[in-house]
Amino acid sequence: MKVVDVVCPFCGCLCDDLVVEVCDEKVVKVENGCTLASEKFLGDHRLQSPILREGFGWREIGYEEAISVAADILLAADLPLLYGWSGTHGEAQSVGVHLAEVLGGVIDNTSTVCHGPSILAIQEVGHPGCTLGQVKNRADVVVYWGANAIEAHPRHMSRYTTFTQGFFVKDAHLARTVIVVDTRRTETAEIADEFVQVEAGYDYEILSALRAIVRGREDVISGAVGGVAKTQLIRVAEICKRAKFGAIFFGLGLTMSAGKHKNIRNAIELVEELNRHTKWTISPMRGHWNVYGSNEVFTWISGYPFAVDFSRGIAFYNPGETTSVDILRRGECDACLVVGSDPGAHLPRACAAHLAKIPTIQLDPHVNATTHLATLQIPVAVSGIDAEGTAYRMDGVPIRVQKLVETKFPDDTEVLSAIYRRVREVKGQ
Amino acid sequence: MRVTLVARPRAKPSLPVEAESIIPQNFLRGTDLTVYEGNKERRLEELFFITVEGPAVSPDQVEVVLMGATGRVKRVGEYMNAGRIVIEGDIGMHCGNFMSGGEIVIKSNADAWLGREMRGGRITCMGSTSHNCGAGYRGEKRGMRGGTIEIFGGAGDFAGEYLAGGEVRIHGSCGDMAGIEMRGGLLVIGGTVTRPCGNMTAGTAVVLGHVNRMLPTFQYQGVNDEVWDGKRLKMDVWEGDVANRGKGRLLVAVGK
Ligand code: SF4
Repeated sequence: MKVVDVVCPFCGCLCDDLVVEVCDEKVVKVENGCTLASEKFLGDHRLQSPILREGFGWREIGYEEAISVAADILLAADLPLLYGWSGTHGEAQSVGVHLAEVLGGVIDNTSTVCHGPSILAIQEVGHPGCTLGQVKNRADVVVYWGANAIEAHPRHMSRYTTFTQGFFVKDAHLARTVIVVDTRRTETAEIADEFVQVEAGYDYEILSALRAIVRGREDVISGAVGGVAKTQLIRVAEICKRAKFGAIFFGLGLTMSAGKHKNIRNAIELVEELNRHTKWTISPMRGHWNVYGSNEVFTWISGYPFAVDFSRGIAFYNPGETTSVDILRRGECDACLVVGSDPGAHLPRACAAHLAKIPTIQLDPHVNATTHLATLQIPVAVSGIDAEGTAYRMDGVPIRVQKLVETKFPDDTEVLSAIYRRVREVKGQ
Repeated sequence: MRVTLVARPRAKPSLPVEAESIIPQNFLRGTDLTVYEGNKERRLEELFFITVEGPAVSPDQVEVVLMGATGRVKRVGEYMNAGRIVIEGDIGMHCGNFMSGGEIVIKSNADAWLGREMRGGRITCMGSTSHNCGAGYRGEKRGMRGGTIEIFGGAGDFAGEYLAGGEVRIHGSCGDMAGIEMRGGLLVIGGTVTRPCGNMTAGTAVVLGHVNRMLPTFQYQGVNDEVWDGKRLKMDVWEGDVANRGKGRLLVAVGK
């Protein structure tokens, strides 16, 4: 059976035009998706039942026992950390926030290691953003800053920018000017009309210089800034000022290099300056398919998009203090629940070492690096393949991901709801 | 009145303790106070051995002395308006948040957000401090507004971020972006600093040591003779941040 208009649950583009062939409750073919999408739909190394660490080995257990063990671990903790959430659907994220509140724990999503700094900058100066549809139909100048779209978001350019036509941009490949700012000549840089090669860690300086040039103060700028000649900076500023509609997309090259949220703030303020001349917008290239959703869901419920600390019964937020990397590095939490992420592979070594020291529970369909640090793993259905739910695209548009095949596995929402019910029962609520 | 709090050994010493109740004015009503250890509310005496000596009728007559392992105790001195707190060892984050009067002396190191959005009074730290000293809360438009913070060691990144008033003096070196978004007040750095004062709109920053990576959007104004700490110094004067139409002053000792 062929299913059309399937949403890809891999990266923040959430492409919704895939055609997937299903045979005997298994995905056998994927059309329209990129290589990453095919790997996600066709990969199949699922953990078959919950496993509990015993001594140096694992014991297979049933779901009921797994849920009761998970609830006991979380209830016994003085500061449980609930981490991940970007690889699951909104409904599960919502149960996660309620669980964190009833436990008096900290809930944090993977923004903490990707676009958390973007959120901090937006909280300082706002977000002149737009949907990807606006970019597709209007943008004649597109900037990729510290983002290698071709490799990380392979269909971004073909669906929204240089390789696709828009309502007001007919001959897209010729009509759109692409500027790439990066520390190395990436594949994306190869197809740029203007490649600005920045010395690593000098993005803040370049952005400040561009802001000054755009407002007519190039007189203060010296001959080169951060490895970029002043003449090129002036040229880039001119291209930007002449644009009918410009869009900056930025990635972790900007959020996670020296200066962090101040880089993003500077980029937003450059956009603000450009908006005195023409129309410009700026958007983060979100990585996980539903990381934006985790920010949305956390915010609806708690008022804060990530790093929410409920330990005193009310929501407190202070990245740098209540963020997972900081909590784990300082060894503050005494239990951890991981959902829809693989911190064993992605977080710094000191954090992984602490996860191995404390009881760590993981909800994940596959054996991954975190499994080796965990005390308990509960396999779940994969959202977008054998579970449905709501996700948010990188521009904040909510999209429903489908259930394509029947499964024996419960989804994240079901397992989390069972843990939540058990926790409330023990607490007598 | 002198209140001595000696930290008791804890089963989980890494768990953070939130102790905004530790301010001089609270001890006028006794020591029946609570703090949070992780997600558990505890009585102060569960976490500290408490000794009280002598009387007091107003907060300025109260001195609180903290001893033992207090490096994970946060928010000590928050909203303090008078009196004195002496910390014999390290202290956790947010010490002296929003403080408006009195004095805090830290004999060792202080963690991040020391004197966050402080309005008055004085904080002296004999050791070093971490990031965001004298800064604002996330998304706030103003950091410290009054009072004095003096650090005899160094500071981490974003020292004096959003500084709007008062004085931050760091005798040692700072990390990245000290004085970023400054809009008033005085920031003095004795050692080295990297990329100071980005986006500043007003206020004065003085660097007596060396500046790594001066931002490209500061306009050079020439050399001035200035007196700092009783010493006559030749200083390069910069104005900025031009990217932000700023009119802040950044003074850097010549030849450092
Ligand atoms: S670009 Fe992203 S969302 Fe689109 S098919 Fe590839 S991995 Fe999936």
